[in-house]
Amino acid sequence: MSTAVGIKVEEHFHNAEQQRETAKLGMWVFLLTELLLFSGLFVSALVIRVLHPDSVTAVALHLKFWIGATNTAILIVSSFCMSGAIESSRLGLRRPMIFCMLATAGLGVLFLMLKGYEYDRDYVEHMTPFLSFRRYELVGDPASRLFTDLYFVITGLHAIHLTIGIGIMLVMSWLASRPHFLERHQNRIEITGLYWHFIDLIWMIVFPTLYLLNR
Amino acid sequence: MNPSDAALRDLRVPAPVLAVPDDYLHVEQTLGSWILTTDHKRIGILYLVSITGFFVLGAIAAGLIRLALIVPDGSILSNDVYNRVFTLHGVIMVWFFLVPSIPNTLGNFLLPLMIGAKDVAFPRLNLLSWYIFVIASLFTVFVMIWGGVDTGWTFYTPLSTQYSNSYVLTAVFGIIVVGFSSILTGMNFMVTVHKLRAPGMTWFRLPLFVWSLYATSLILVLATPVLTIALILLFADRAFGLAIFDPANGGDPVLFQHLFWFYSHPVVYVMVLPGMGVMSELVTAFSYKKIFGYKFIAFSSVGIAVIGFFVWGHHMFYNGMSPFAGLTFSLMSFIVAVPSAIKVYNWAATIHKGSIRLDTPMLYALGWIGLFVIGGVTGLMLASTAIDGQVHDTYFVVAHFHYIMVGATVVAFMGGIHFWWPKITGRKYSEPWGRVSALLMFIGFNMTFAPQYVLGYMGMPRRYAVYPPAYQVLNVLSSAGATVLALAYIFPMIYLIWSLWYGEEAGDNPWGAKGLEWLTTSPPPKHNFEHTPMVDFDPYDYPNVTPEK
Repeated sequence: MSTAVGIKVEEHFHNAEQQRETAKLGMWVFLLTELLLFSGLFVSALVIRVLHPDSVTAVALHLKFWIGATNTAILIVSSFCMSGAIESSRLGLRRPMIFCMLATAGLGVLFLMLKGYEYDRDYVEHMTPFLSFRRYELVGDPASRLFTDLYFVITGLHAIHLTIGIGIMLVMSWLASRPHFLERHQNRIEITGLYWHFIDLIWMIVFPTLYLLNR
Repeated sequence: MNPSDAALRDLRVPAPVLAVPDDYLHVEQTLGSWILTTDHKRIGILYLVSITGFFVLGAIAAGLIRLALIVPDGSILSNDVYNRVFTLHGVIMVWFFLVPSIPNTLGNFLLPLMIGAKDVAFPRLNLLSWYIFVIASLFTVFVMIWGGVDTGWTFYTPLSTQYSNSYVLTAVFGIIVVGFSSILTGMNFMVTVHKLRAPGMTWFRLPLFVWSLYATSLILVLATPVLTIALILLFADRAFGLAIFDPANGGDPVLFQHLFWFYSHPVVYVMVLPGMGVMSELVTAFSYKKIFGYKFIAFSSVGIAVIGFFVWGHHMFYNGMSPFAGLTFSLMSFIVAVPSAIKVYNWAATIHKGSIRLDTPMLYALGWIGLFVIGGVTGLMLASTAIDGQVHDTYFVVAHFHYIMVGATVVAFMGGIHFWWPKITGRKYSEPWGRVSALLMFIGFNMTFAPQYVLGYMGMPRRYAVYPPAYQVLNVLSSAGATVLALAYIFPMIYLIWSLWYGEEAGDNPWGAKGLEWLTTSPPPKHNFEHTPMVDFDPYDYPNVTPEK
């Protein structure tokens, strides 16, 4: 059942260990970049909270807490599936690994569907200040509009990352379903996993920043 | 001689050998072998060619600015055209020339050579970075020439979000994409330094150029995404009607400045740190002396990178910032000058009592020290909140940052190109022409920008096509200097290209310099070294040493 596990050493590396560590560090540095990308938004959101606590509370109360909380749970479970995929890849268990990866991608899709439903509710409830043809009906306070804007930018950027993550997951499962993949590129599963966990982690910051504080 | 001897003689004639060199330049000659290469040396050359092209465009824009400012009444370029030209100059020079200048050309070429690696950690990402850079930059430049952008390179809100009628959206989009190229390069270099060093190449045996590239990469990786997000918000404001920076709807235009300068101040160190790294190599090689205070220089690079993240507010002293915040940013800006000063003192101590050779790279290096000290000291003046109130947004600021961007970055770039030219191409350039160009650069540069200090101190504001006639003499002097400076750029382009075909063969180590890159052949073979080098010597082990205790 289990197949051999390893990586094919490229010509500019001395050995597999060096290549493995290099790839892993590369992904970590990339994630550092991603963290800074989001932290500009988080800091902006927190500054607005401090400056306009009342209008921010009004928006935060209007966000669908149950959707945010459910989505948090979905992503935690998806990360669990991803760990399952990584562990299976280390053991050379190809089929369980692909099953876990597809489950991970499926949970990601579920997240996006719920998120889409939430955006739809926001639209119906006139919570879309940036649409010029649709009246903004939350509170008259300008600052609440600012926070609503940031809510869309932050969740939108996260959704883009998640969509990319799902895409990578599907491509990787397709590549990994072919023979000899684990013998040559086992570490790619781990790198993909790092990215996936990171997207979850970002949501763990997004959720309290937008939905929980001031509630 | 009997017949059998003649037969033997013919047998001894060696088979004809075609002397085709197998270095990285000659190993493959097709166009595809260049544009699809993953060899860090060739990618360095690709970058060199492309940023030189952008430099020429940016310099033409600069020439137009200086031409327009010869007359005080704005009759050469209208206000609108002038705005577009200085925006074009700023955007091209900052993002398409200065940021990639030393790291992506010399850095790409030298980093693996200096640490004894076969290539950078992710060769394909390296090529991808070049493609992103070239496509996005060409797109942006096309938009800016065809349509025009008039906001200045800083894209300040609310001008860029609400009032400007020009092609801000497309230009901003292009710059967001160029940012990915910076990030990929930064990642690649950081990981390369961590994981690909040759056996025995410990951290404190790394050449100081590598330390400075490491510090630069740290900034690229940590600061660029913040610019990306600031520009994404700007883009969303303008395109989708968000109100993040719109005061009428609760937004805050100053928030953009905070996010923008959180990137754009550290990125000044992206431009200058690699220049400092080049300096450390030049001063030691041409003083033929071990560097003084290796660890101080190494750690001061990292110190500049870290402290540089906490000084952004000094661009915003007069934008409604509280005096306490102003004081803090002022103090941090003074502190960040300390590591730079440490470096200058260490280079001075290295030159002291060395066996100095005044070859072209050393002339650039000596000029560098002079220009950098002037630029740095005026930077301290600007970091004092009281003086900044007087000269904020005047030509004093313009002169200050040109002393750093051109005086430090471009001069170091030129010095580095001359120093490593024999290694990169295997040829020597014309030394007399080199020296003349280095001198012209120093003279032309000072002629162009020293008058601008005076103009700024007298109160001439930046970004205006029209100015009071009292300022005309100094403006004409500055424009005259720009023509001298132009010669200092044109000469090297000619004699360096000439040397590719007619230059003397350089040999492996024409300067007698130390470092792994000089141990391989010139130009280096495709994988840099015949065998992976074992490093069992200290960096800069030149015969002359200053005792450090």
